[in-house]
Amino acid sequence: MFVYEKKLQYPINIKNPNPKLAKIIASQYGGPDGELGASLRYLSQRYTMPMPELKATLTDIGTEELGHLEMVGAIIYQLTKNQTPEDIKKAGLDGYFVDHTMGIYPASAEGVPFTAAYIQSKGDPITDLHENLAAEQKARTTYDNILRYCDDYDVKDVIRFLREREVVHYQRFGENLRLLTDNLNEKNFYAFNPSFDKACFKKTKANKQQQ
Amino acid sequence: MTKREMLLKKLSTYQFAVLDLQLFLDSHPNDSATLEKMNLYKLKAEKIKQEYEEEFEPLQKTVTQGNNWSWITGPWPWESEENN
Repeated sequence: MFVYEKKLQYPINIKNPNPKLAKIIASQYGGPDGELGASLRYLSQRYTMPMPELKATLTDIGTEELGHLEMVGAIIYQLTKNQTPEDIKKAGLDGYFVDHTMGIYPASAEGVPFTAAYIQSKGDPITDLHENLAAEQKARTTYDNILRYCDDYDVKDVIRFLREREVVHYQRFGENLRLLTDNLNEKNFYAFNPSFDKACFKKTKANKQQQ
Repeated sequence: MTKREMLLKKLSTYQFAVLDLQLFLDSHPNDSATLEKMNLYKLKAEKIKQEYEEEFEPLQKTVTQGNNWSWITGPWPWESEENN
């Protein structure tokens, strides 16, 4: 189960509202490479992972991503505070305003609503881990792109923290993939689905206990 | 930065060290030096958390103060205390 802690993973105190910046950062809330997709992807994939290290990593990264979703929501909330309808229109947020006022809604920077089609849970750990490695890099590039438009230190500092976490998660998923393939019969990793075809594992004592 | 925010930042710093080391341990479960380091930071984080909850509002619902439901008091994580 999940237990809520009433704090952010990293503090956010934005002095200057900037709805234009909020509009692009919103993509990391409900966009194609955003934190909502990340958390759903890992928390859904973890059930069929064949090794305890992999189950643990997906559970923990998936949970951390929920914390990042909360952080991105907090950034958007603070960037869009105390705005007049004129400010909102000037920032190009009038289309968003008419549907959501200043409520936080999961959509991309261009307003495409969040969809589960952004993620995959393939039930094959080799495939899923490759998806996750790609997902972390896509999110890292998105944060890099956000940083190009960001000249406010209060926002930049938080975005840099989130960007760095993508790099660390990428590293951990890479280790997971290595742990998995080290455990497989190396004749042909791709002849089997390690979550479905149990025969593909090396015959060791530890593997017998796990299955 | 208010005193509340300063203490919260200190807590977040230790909690982050714990979280990051735990994530590392997921793929390196036999690394006893990292395990030791994680436990060290965990103790420090727990101490600061207790200090925070004694002085300010509870961070988790398991902590109750006095005879009212203090969970609903204090700022929420997305609210900046200084820039309200």
